[in-house]
Amino acid sequence: MNTTVTFDNVSRFYGEVLGVNRVTLSIPPGITSLVGPNGSGKTTLMNMMAGLVRPTRGEVRVLGISPNEPQRLCHMIGYATQFDSFPRGLTGQEFIYSFLRLFGYSHDRCVKQAETAIARVRMTGAAARKIAGYSKGMRQRIKLALAIAHDPRVLILDEPLNGLDPLVRNETIALFREMAHEGRHVIVSSHVLHEVDQISDQVILLSNGYVVAEGQIHDVRGEIKDHPMQVWIRCAQPSVLASKLFEMDHVVEARLAQDGAGVLVKTRDADRFYRTLNDLAVNGIELEGVTPLDDNVNSVYEYLIGGESR
Amino acid sequence: MMAQIASVMRLELKKTFFSRRGLWVYVLAFAPALIYLIHAVDVTRDHEHRQALAAAHPVATETLHSIKEGMTTDEVVAAAGEPYAVKTFPGGRRRAGGFRDLAIYQYTDGDSDFALVLVEGKVERINEQDRCNLKKDSAIFATVFQFFYLRLAVFFGCVGIFMNLFRGEMLDKSLHFYLLAPMRREVLLAGKYLAGLVAAATIFVTGTALQLAALSWHFEPGAVSEYLRGPGWGQIAAYLGVTVLACIGYGSIFLLAGLVFRNPIIPAAGVLLWESINLFLPASLKKISIIFYLQALCPVVASPDRGLSLLQRLLISSAEPPQAWVAMLGLMVVTLAVLVFAGRRARRLEINYGTE
Ligand SMILES: Nc1ncnc2c1ncn2[C@@H]1O[C@H](COP(=O)(O)OP(=O)(O)OP(=O)(O)O)[C@@H](O)[C@H]1O
Ligand SMILES: [Mg+2]
Repeated sequence: MNTTVTFDNVSRFYGEVLGVNRVTLSIPPGITSLVGPNGSGKTTLMNMMAGLVRPTRGEVRVLGISPNEPQRLCHMIGYATQFDSFPRGLTGQEFIYSFLRLFGYSHDRCVKQAETAIARVRMTGAAARKIAGYSKGMRQRIKLALAIAHDPRVLILDEPLNGLDPLVRNETIALFREMAHEGRHVIVSSHVLHEVDQISDQVILLSNGYVVAEGQIHDVRGEIKDHPMQVWIRCAQPSVLASKLFEMDHVVEARLAQDGAGVLVKTRDADRFYRTLNDLAVNGIELEGVTPLDDNVNSVYEYLIGGESR
Repeated sequence: MMAQIASVMRLELKKTFFSRRGLWVYVLAFAPALIYLIHAVDVTRDHEHRQALAAAHPVATETLHSIKEGMTTDEVVAAAGEPYAVKTFPGGRRRAGGFRDLAIYQYTDGDSDFALVLVEGKVERINEQDRCNLKKDSAIFATVFQFFYLRLAVFFGCVGIFMNLFRGEMLDKSLHFYLLAPMRREVLLAGKYLAGLVAAATIFVTGTALQLAALSWHFEPGAVSEYLRGPGWGQIAAYLGVTVLACIGYGSIFLLAGLVFRNPIIPAAGVLLWESINLFLPASLKKISIIFYLQALCPVVASPDRGLSLLQRLLISSAEPPQAWVAMLGLMVVTLAVLVFAGRRARRLEINYGTE
């Protein structure tokens, strides 16, 4: 039996706009985090796993099942979307119960499973209240309850930690671990790496619709470091700058521009590079402009070192 | 699967019956009944008034019918007694030789009203205004039913109910909850369609029934039961049945429209136009519509010819109205085709909550 969630060269465009491009992934059970800034394609990937959105190209399989077969797929997956909206007029309990009924389960079974799920996210006290009156954190939790209520093997959770207070956040993370321990997939998204890197077995970094790094968190950090970053520096004395730069061991290449207006630098350690650049500036070399040339890697890099980039 | 359809319906019915957005559907469904009711009250008051007048100025119906044009005022009064009202207009009528005196004498036998127009002391014209009768009223009903109720009220009611089944949830951003349930999209579609149908049929069949009740309310029990013993029950059943069929047909179309369009006005206007020009379409195209079949099933023929010019009448291609069972079959075929197409669309349905 197939136990992975796979993307095979998947692309999705929204008209002209790129959602994700050429994504090939194989996600094993355990906690997997999709990390990337706003608009990097996390939700698009998750929607494609759940069949809410179709790939423009390529193929998605969840435990071997195609998302074109919701009647089979939706038994396997539980998806808490990023949308903060609910059917009108329902209490938390009615909400879970009614949508469990759509699975074709009996009344008693739905009542029981709804109760269990609500208890698991610690919402029992508020279950009889209307969702319209819930706080953001409570809405997040009732969505989570719905996602786990039918006991799915693959949990897909879009920014599930958003809006949770520290205590509830820890409880929720504990729940993820428990689920993963039971052999399920727990796929979560976040735009803050340090929020999830401690708990994840695997991290997938996304940027502008591309997977820029994937693997265990150490690998990912390494991958970013190994990937040379290019910076274009404009200054009055490019040759002086180039010679100084060559002395640094993390600089792979420093090329003078043909018009003599600047230097193209490749570095393996952007963090140290920027620090030395500051030193140079302090020591009298006038810099007119610093432009990172590959934004993808750079923004991911920002994530890694900067934590929250907001 | 049946359990799943039932659970979709349970969720949907609650939403459809009690949605604040759908309040105007009730107005559409029940406003005509209200108008008939007002008409009934009006007619009843009128009748009571005539009865009172007849009691004060008794005259037999045969006597009134025996009055002929050309009789003099004296002859009239000798036969029928004093009228209950006289209106005189000295010099009120212009004739070749100048102005003549005009008078109107009004009589009633309690049911019909007779207005005698007298010029220079001679009866020139007799206007008899019947009391409302069932035959007249049922012709009015037939026209209103076909040209207002089916084409507008039920039509827009179905726009409101069925277009919102998918589109409404897309707007509310809650459609994904349905799409994440383990059922074929076709099953979801069927559940929603049936829920819409139950709601629409309940509302509009009630509307039709209330109209019929309001309409017949002011007639004497004798007349009503005679009507019922005659064509009555058959016609009532036909009207109610046609109402249900209208919901079935228009429902499928607007269910599909809700899947395809975001803006309800475009498809509604398009279908409305198509259905209105149906009369002028060639026979083969006529059959791709709902109203063509509904009209064939209406028990009392409401002729639209009266208001049409000769040119328009020439444009109307005459497709023989199909037989009842053919019409029903035709409507079902159209509906089924639309639903199958909707099912195909539903399979490809994606969540797109982007701003409009
Ligand atoms: N329905 C849509 N129509 C048009 N473009 C879309 C649509 N959904 C997503 N996109 C585009 O696809 C890209 C990826 O969006 P996506 O929602 O997957 O990002 P995300 O990583 O989930 O972002 P966020 O952190 O803001 O949730 C973005 O450029 C976005 O503008
Ligand atoms: Mg997102």
